[in-house]
Amino acid sequence: MDDLDRTIHEPARLRILTLLSGVDEADFSFLLNTVGLTKGNLSSHMDKLEKAGYVTIVKTFNGRIPHTDFRLTPEGRSALEKYWEELDAIRAMHDARE
Amino acid sequence: MTTSAKNQYQAGDPRQIVRWARRYAQSRTISFLVQWVFIVVMVMGIGLAASLTQAAHQEGKTATFALSVIFMFLAALALVWFSVSRWSGELVFSITNWLYGREGYVSYSGNDPDKSLPLWLTGLGGGLLAYHLLGALLISFNYMHIKYMQPWSAAYMTPYLILMVVYQRLGFWAWLWPVLYGLHAVALMLGLPVRFGRELELFNIIAPIFAYGLIAILVGHAYSRYALRKLKSLTQSSIPEYDDEASDAGEEKDGGSPANG
Repeated sequence: MDDLDRTIHEPARLRILTLLSGVDEADFSFLLNTVGLTKGNLSSHMDKLEKAGYVTIVKTFNGRIPHTDFRLTPEGRSALEKYWEELDAIRAMHDARE
Repeated sequence: MTTSAKNQYQAGDPRQIVRWARRYAQSRTISFLVQWVFIVVMVMGIGLAASLTQAAHQEGKTATFALSVIFMFLAALALVWFSVSRWSGELVFSITNWLYGREGYVSYSGNDPDKSLPLWLTGLGGGLLAYHLLGALLISFNYMHIKYMQPWSAAYMTPYLILMVVYQRLGFWAWLWPVLYGLHAVALMLGLPVRFGRELELFNIIAPIFAYGLIAILVGHAYSRYALRKLKSLTQSSIPEYDDEASDAGEEKDGGSPANG
């Protein structure tokens, strides 16, 4: 378990990253609605993921209305893939012991 | 491969979130519905003006004829403008966001957003207009009967739209329009009772275009409701939160966020 990326291993962040890995981009409302967090918690997790370089924030304007979208970065994608591979390996080891 | 939606994972595996997120993003059809409404209104405007023009011409009402020609011209101009203007794109985007409300925005194209359509596909799009113009000319000069207008159109539209759907990786609902449009053409050719009578001849092409479009959009929207429910439940159940005690410890360590494992 020590090898697992702790930034990703946190359940809420794993939900966010897995969701983002399936789409091109998503906004704050979509993540809030789907992941089931409070606004404050989601903001805090998005900050951590951005600082880790796993997500990027895309700010656009639709006319005068600002719009903030989130995208998974290539680093985030490969970190998530590595995370699942490691988790599968841990599960396989656990199953072999049983 | 974490991000591949093609992998077969067991029921409840969190990686199925990827597949359902894509299915939901691909079946959000409200923006198509908004565009559909605008286009139907404008086409109806053109049709109304055309009928008025014809009636005024037959009855010799010069002023009404001139006004209806101007109206028809303006409606056609509005349709072209709506199709290309940035403003209309922003309007559709705002209405769509308003209609989706709390669901928020999500997109999936499966393609590089910076990559434009390949040249051959863009060329086929241009050919679409030329092909229909040729059909209209053949009908005008009596080389082809008007009853073949829809099948003539479907011979190009169906394969072209299927190519577009495949290339743009739209959801299954997007297949419905070209497939139904093609089947309608086959039904017309076989003489099945799906055709409008002589006075409503134009409806034989207008009705399939709009009715099958609406069916495809509504099926997509209904599926998006199911996909969203499935996505939410899978996201929240397949990756459970830690228990409260661990979570509290994590909050302390992790600056206010739920626990780290």
